[in-house]
Amino acid sequence: MQGASSGVGYGLKYQARCISDVRADTDHTSFLTGTLSLKEENEVHLIRLSSGGTELVCEGLFSHPNEIWDLRSCPFDQRIFSTVYSSGESFGAAVWQIPELYGQLNSPQLEKIASLDSLVGKINCVLWWPSGKHEKLISIDQENIFSWNLDCSKKVSQVQSQESAGMLHYLSGGAWDPHDVNAVAATCESSVQFWDLRTMKKTNSIECTHVHDLEYDTRKKHILVTAEDESGIHIWDLRMPKVPIQELPGHAHWTWTVRCNPEYDGLILSAGTDSTVNLWLSSSSSEDGMVESPTKRFNPLLNTYTDYEDCVYSVAWSTREPWIFASLSYDGRVVVESVKPYLSKK
Amino acid sequence: MAAEDVPLDDKAKRMRDLLSSFYSPDPSMSSNASSKPGSLDAINTASFDADQYMDLLVQKSNLEVLLKRHVEMAAEIKNLDTDLQMLVYENYNKFISATDTIRRMKSNIVGMESNMEQLLDKIMSVQSRSDGVNTSLFEKREHIEKLHRTRNLLRKVQFIFDLPARLGKCIKSEAYADAVKFYTGAMPIFKAYGDSSFQDCKRASEEAIATIIKNLQGKLFSDSESIQSRAEAAVLLKQLDFPVDSLKAKLLEKLEQSLADLEVKTEGIESAGEDSTSHSGGGSSIGNHEASVGEFAEAVRAYRVIFPDSDKQLISLSRDLITRHFEVTEQYMQKHISSAELLNFLKIIWTDVLLLDNVLEEAGLPDFSLEAARLVVKKYISSKLTHFQQDIADSLVGPKERVGDYSLQDALEAGKKTVLQGSMDVLLDFRQLLDDKLELVIKLRDSIIDWVLEGFQVFFRTLDDHFVLLSEKKSSLDQGLKEGAQTDKALTGLVLVLSQISVFIEQSAIPTITEEIASSFSGGGARGYEYGPAFVPGEICRRFRSAGEKFVNLYIKIRTQRISVILRKRFTTPNWVKHKEPRDVHMFVDLLLQELEAARSEVKQILPQGIRKHHRSDSNGSTTSSRSNPLRDDRMGRSNTHRARSQLLETHLAKLFKQKVEIFTKVEYTQESVVSTIVKLSLKSLQEFVRLQTFNRSGFQQIQLDIQFLRMPLKEIAEDEAAVDFLLDEVIVAASERCLDPIPLEPPILDKLIQAKLAKS
Repeated sequence: MQGASSGVGYGLKYQARCISDVRADTDHTSFLTGTLSLKEENEVHLIRLSSGGTELVCEGLFSHPNEIWDLRSCPFDQRIFSTVYSSGESFGAAVWQIPELYGQLNSPQLEKIASLDSLVGKINCVLWWPSGKHEKLISIDQENIFSWNLDCSKKVSQVQSQESAGMLHYLSGGAWDPHDVNAVAATCESSVQFWDLRTMKKTNSIECTHVHDLEYDTRKKHILVTAEDESGIHIWDLRMPKVPIQELPGHAHWTWTVRCNPEYDGLILSAGTDSTVNLWLSSSSSEDGMVESPTKRFNPLLNTYTDYEDCVYSVAWSTREPWIFASLSYDGRVVVESVKPYLSKK
Repeated sequence: MAAEDVPLDDKAKRMRDLLSSFYSPDPSMSSNASSKPGSLDAINTASFDADQYMDLLVQKSNLEVLLKRHVEMAAEIKNLDTDLQMLVYENYNKFISATDTIRRMKSNIVGMESNMEQLLDKIMSVQSRSDGVNTSLFEKREHIEKLHRTRNLLRKVQFIFDLPARLGKCIKSEAYADAVKFYTGAMPIFKAYGDSSFQDCKRASEEAIATIIKNLQGKLFSDSESIQSRAEAAVLLKQLDFPVDSLKAKLLEKLEQSLADLEVKTEGIESAGEDSTSHSGGGSSIGNHEASVGEFAEAVRAYRVIFPDSDKQLISLSRDLITRHFEVTEQYMQKHISSAELLNFLKIIWTDVLLLDNVLEEAGLPDFSLEAARLVVKKYISSKLTHFQQDIADSLVGPKERVGDYSLQDALEAGKKTVLQGSMDVLLDFRQLLDDKLELVIKLRDSIIDWVLEGFQVFFRTLDDHFVLLSEKKSSLDQGLKEGAQTDKALTGLVLVLSQISVFIEQSAIPTITEEIASSFSGGGARGYEYGPAFVPGEICRRFRSAGEKFVNLYIKIRTQRISVILRKRFTTPNWVKHKEPRDVHMFVDLLLQELEAARSEVKQILPQGIRKHHRSDSNGSTTSSRSNPLRDDRMGRSNTHRARSQLLETHLAKLFKQKVEIFTKVEYTQESVVSTIVKLSLKSLQEFVRLQTFNRSGFQQIQLDIQFLRMPLKEIAEDEAAVDFLLDEVIVAASERCLDPIPLEPPILDKLIQAKLAKS
């Protein structure tokens, strides 16, 4: 919108923290984002990239009862998504459905399919299994991991199993292994814990402090990427959890979130509180990447996008057009950029 | 005249004939052909035709010529006639004299027959007489011959019987050579008849020979004997079929033993050399060593003469000696010796080598020792540099027993000094090695230069790695000991020291070293140019520049991490929605300031003071929150009911529009830069923590109070007031955004609480 930006911009009304790619929408490149406003009426925006890729169009605007802390689009139904919301004092989570014919209604209401309410604690996130249709959902709150059975047609959800993380661990987020439907990684203060959903037991853990976000590499098994406060980005091979296989410097302040590209190996997007988005190419894209030869120590940082006015808390790759990503800064601005110019460098 | 003409004509003709015979195969043809056209000269040839001649003459000549010819010819004919007459006469005379001679001979021959017969008779009688004499003397002669043979035999027998006595005499006079000659002369007889007639004699002489052998052996082994006599003894023993090889083995064993002694001695010298600042003791022991090596060399020379086929063992022996020398040197090298000492060793070894080379050229000792010296010197250089690296590390960590006293400044100064002084010392040390005139060293000169250069390159590389290792150890230690006693504070400072040392190495140590190397280590190039130059200061500078930045950033990171821990505890523990009214500035402020103060004191010890300046271009991110959010202004405007709080926001907003402040600037190596970076990052973290919470009014007011309190001391610490102000305002903005009911404290109350806090502390 201004400066030397190559991106396409879109403004939300209020501050916002989360944006999600609508994976199930195979016809368009769309994103869902929700606002975070304590006192005003919050909104969920369905944004679509116009066919020319030059404009972001608001396809739907829905009011949401509370401020949205987390929002994830359902990977198999483009009209379904989950949110984690807070009313100031209490947290809740729900699965929503966008009403049909929403284009014709003036101010359509979201249809609440199921509420993932548990009595305890502050919910951090709701996870869909990223690799396809799966009737289970995971919700993570500060002390517990819940596994939910979701029936969209009957609009019911029930707790299938639950496990508490233990007294001294406060969970803060998590990721579902796309290669293994039974494995979930959860972040807590000083480590990343791995859970087996069948037994609901902790199987393993990696020692690393203050992980803000983590994601499994969708392309390769056993690869996990974490974003940490001060230490930047670490890439782990879960078969060797002692030391990370690669370390990227991250951001000038905290690295808030990381996203692996669903199509291109080793392409990682990170966003941080220094109001930038960084595009990385990890050298571990080849299997023997751990043997770091001093001769070709290339700079893993492909580009830094600085066209933001505030911290960027959320980025999302488009599944449909994997060279496109959307980023959302705290001031409510969505910027969609293409990384095509940097792909040729690979 | 005619007589003259004829041979002339003759000559010419012969010439012509020769020529014609050469050009045509048939001389008769040519002569016929030539005669036909008429040659008046053909008068002397065999094919002369008088008529033809006449015709030709008549045809060719006029009358005058013919007449003249006639006169000439008549004269010629007359001449020829007289010649002929003369010849006939002479021949006749000779014939007559020959007839006379024959007649005389006939008369002389008649009396000879009888004389001949007389002679024959006489010869016959002589022969018969001589036959008579022969037959009469034959018997006697045979007898004489027999007698003579017997006499010879008897003489031999006598010799053999005399042999023991003679041998005894020889032993007495030590004329072993004669004795051996006699004995070997008698050997065939002893072999043939020893068992029967000469048994006693043989035994006796064998006994004598046994003593001789014993004596000879003694002679061979005794070092006091001259080499010549020893060699002779060996030769004699060999002649006596004595097993010389075992003797040789024994001797070599002895030699080896003496070698072992020699080695012990060498060690003695080296230990003496260790504390031989006084030359007297060391010198004398070196002399001793030289003497003993000289002895060894003499022995080698002797053995070579004595046993010409013993070269191989001797070579291996002397090589052993040299190898042992070098081994001892290597052992000794572990004790941190200087080049001078190493040179001493090399000198001793080289003199030994030269001594031995004189007597045993085949061993190729110079080359051999050159190889060994190559290894030793290489090892020396690398061990020297390893020691040096250890020194640096030690100086940085400081004496272990008194960690507390060892201030960062001391560490930095010590580190700098060690790096510069140490590298100069090491270079000087190596230069000493180069400057020496020892042949061994001169031969290695090029290689030494290469090793030094390569060594330095590797040294700095490993030093860098070592620094990283140090810092990693420290930072991981920090994570373990977050509560932070005195000790790990010092360790955090170490990271900063490392950074400063890296900068120092890059900016002053490397240029100095490069200069030094350029001035005294030119040359080299033995390692081939395809690898490029051995010492690349540029690469090292790059390494250390990035290392310096890395360490400074690491330091900042460690510091901000600690502050983050404090902040995290502060913001995650209380329930902000149910916060009570603020009564006091929260104590986390003290902790925060304490941490910052600690960082500042560390930084002040190490980093230089900088000139305050802003680098706009270095900024890689700016935060002017809510700037492009007109919606919020709108919202503020609408919410009339909360006039007070929006007023607060508006003032902040107005401030924000005035200045755009860079937060994430590039860190410089100055106190201000590092400290203010830490402060800025901490405040940014504070803001982020605030954004994650939801506050009630009291919670918001508490934040407001704390921030207000922080404002003064932080400005003092950070010395970048604009940025601090901006960030603190940001925190308050964030808090008010996350507040359900953002009504700020009244300024008087704020003041009062802050005064109370100030009074308390």
